[in-house]
Amino acid sequence: MNEISSSSNANNYAGAVLDSQESSGASSADYDSVHVVSVVGNGALARIESLLEAMVDAIITGDKISVPYRSVRASRPGQLQGPPSGRQTGIVRFPGRTIQEAKKFDALFRIIELSHEALLSGSLITKRNIYYQNPELFGSQAVVDVMVNNLAFTLGVGRGDLNIASRHQWAVATAKGLISGPVILVNRDGSVIDCGLSHNTGILLPPISEIQSIGFHAAQWVLVIEKEATFRTLAAAQYAKTSRAGCGILITAKGFPDLATRRFLSVLHSMRPGLVIFGLADFDPDGVSIVQTYQNGSRRLEHENEATVPSLRWLGVRSNDLLSSGESPVFDDEEDQESQAATSLGSSHLLERSDHHRPAKRPKLSGFQNPSETVLSLTLRDRRKAADILRGICSIDQPSNDELDQTQELQRMLMLNIKAEIQAVDNYGDLSTWLDDKLCAGMDTGQ
Amino acid sequence: MSKQYLTAHTVDQAHPADIFSLAPTPSTLISASGSSSLRIHDTTSPTYPLAQTISNAHKLGCHHLATASGPQTGNIFASVGFGGDAKIWHLNPDSKQYELQWEIPTVGDSGKGDVWAIALSADENFLACTTSDGRIHVWDLTAKEKIQTYETGGGRGAAGGGGSFAMAVDLSRDGRLTASGHENGGVYVFNNDAGRMVYSLSGLAKPVRAVAFSPGCKRLAAAGNAGIIALYDMEHGEHVGNLSAPGNRPSWITSLDWNDTGDYLLSGQLDGKVKVWDVARGACVATHSETDSALWCVRWLPPTERALGPGMGKGERFCAAGASRSLSFYREATGI
Repeated sequence: MNEISSSSNANNYAGAVLDSQESSGASSADYDSVHVVSVVGNGALARIESLLEAMVDAIITGDKISVPYRSVRASRPGQLQGPPSGRQTGIVRFPGRTIQEAKKFDALFRIIELSHEALLSGSLITKRNIYYQNPELFGSQAVVDVMVNNLAFTLGVGRGDLNIASRHQWAVATAKGLISGPVILVNRDGSVIDCGLSHNTGILLPPISEIQSIGFHAAQWVLVIEKEATFRTLAAAQYAKTSRAGCGILITAKGFPDLATRRFLSVLHSMRPGLVIFGLADFDPDGVSIVQTYQNGSRRLEHENEATVPSLRWLGVRSNDLLSSGESPVFDDEEDQESQAATSLGSSHLLERSDHHRPAKRPKLSGFQNPSETVLSLTLRDRRKAADILRGICSIDQPSNDELDQTQELQRMLMLNIKAEIQAVDNYGDLSTWLDDKLCAGMDTGQ
Repeated sequence: MSKQYLTAHTVDQAHPADIFSLAPTPSTLISASGSSSLRIHDTTSPTYPLAQTISNAHKLGCHHLATASGPQTGNIFASVGFGGDAKIWHLNPDSKQYELQWEIPTVGDSGKGDVWAIALSADENFLACTTSDGRIHVWDLTAKEKIQTYETGGGRGAAGGGGSFAMAVDLSRDGRLTASGHENGGVYVFNNDAGRMVYSLSGLAKPVRAVAFSPGCKRLAAAGNAGIIALYDMEHGEHVGNLSAPGNRPSWITSLDWNDTGDYLLSGQLDGKVKVWDVARGACVATHSETDSALWCVRWLPPTERALGPGMGKGERFCAAGASRSLSFYREATGI
């Protein structure tokens, strides 16, 4: 991760952008004032289309069709920074001088076509998928991998910009993480993403391998949110800038976190260890599981390194958030001793609230209340899942404090037999007051 | 006229996690929590010292305990873990320590149990266990076999189930009746001799977290999220009254217990309050709120024949425990 530099001042990231000029071929611009927002493709689509146009022109004029194609000399993984040291300049023609060249053109054209389609539809295609489009033509998966990399290199874009995912990413192919807040992401191809623009309600997280540097500005905290809807609401309200806890960053992976989002968080954390990272999830077994995944990774992808944030703090929703609320007054029942219970027969009285009792003289705020109406009962599946997560934690020899916390919350969840969504703690749709309190308290204890 | 109860003793941090269940024997109180250990406290001494700790009883923590009520009991108790595993413990008469006697076998090959609430019969020979799909299994602990399954769902026989989660269960002291309380608000009473349901008691509509037969087996008390205690007559299955406190949002009731004479009911609430109800008058006669965190269990201690020790008196005692992780013992104030 050494290629990613933490830079909060404008000169630094402008410098980073200039570094990548050579390979991107982008025209120079005034980087001090322009925060380039070109998320989709970074011009890859335009470049591919101009390639295709050139081919059509060549067919019309009867010239030989050619595609520029330069190959990156095999470089060690993790050494992708800067312009690759060695390259072969060249073009592939059709019909070429040899059958190999014709085949190569065919294969290349197929990849360009698939990438074009993916870019147009906004979908992602994996290298594996490309190979299976025509295994005979490509011969082997390795050929596809090399050609895709070279094509991206030739066009001066990242592989991701072609909407082509690595074949190992197939399970998490579609990037789904969103980010919002006063943060600037500088991509390797020179594009700059400002995540803090006011009209943004979330920007798709680029793959971490495409990010050159991150400008943090004044961000002090990161809030990872399970639900996209909650994220969008907070982003639209500019919560990242207006929070009482100071500036921060909002991130969501839209449910169960994908590897790309977790990697991004992990990088954020390693770049800025002082940044306090909080997790906000539903009060249900899946919510606990999501928090666990951010902290410790998923069991299926145990081989994935650098995708965990063990220090992520579980902000909520917790049982105490549901049980205690200072919102509505509860009557002091000191007068219990004189009170007479309803002793009448019939079930019609059972549900009747005790309105006929004399109004309490001293309404007071109670610390502990019933969960509000927004809670739901656990389903059979929920109860089983909760027990399974408990089993997982209890098989650990020395559970951490976080894991003991999770144990307690799961046990209370099972005892209460309730679950609740994040919305259960908001105030008529406004989560900011609750979040302010939680974040401030969390930041205080964190120092 | 109210009754006076005093805080007699508090065992702070009795467990390293929420205390979910209590079960008294004539001379001890067993407590269970979110940790794996069970603890047995001596209730014959004013400091309620620890008599035994059973380590690793339930790896995922323990949420229900059951002892039998009545004299000459305490030879056996049962416990249920969050993994759905149920264990039977018996008192070794020589060492005076509880030892594992038996574990209720799990259904299927998964190795995962499905037991939630339990109740032990007065003769300590039958254990009623509820399931997440609304069944009640009754086990013969001597023969170690299941002798009865009550269905509350639509299904019948082996293909049954589909009922509402059974959150509470009790057996009457005379051994004749079984009662269950369900997530959908249903309360069912079964006749153990006939092996069938005799009453389906509606009325609470909200999840029922506790059911308890009076010692004389004439009444059944049920309570839960409705925040009131419903009383049913067991002669004809009629609803005969409610016990409720004023206030427009009564707290969820998590636990109920009759005292030995059947005159008083003890209730524990999610808001930390413990209440004593005079059943005949239908009134709350004492409220204690030492904690504002959830109470998971409240239990009377069995009456004692003699004064136990200095400062302990002969009056009735009860204990409350929950999210505070402490055991709070109360005793009746006498001689006023």
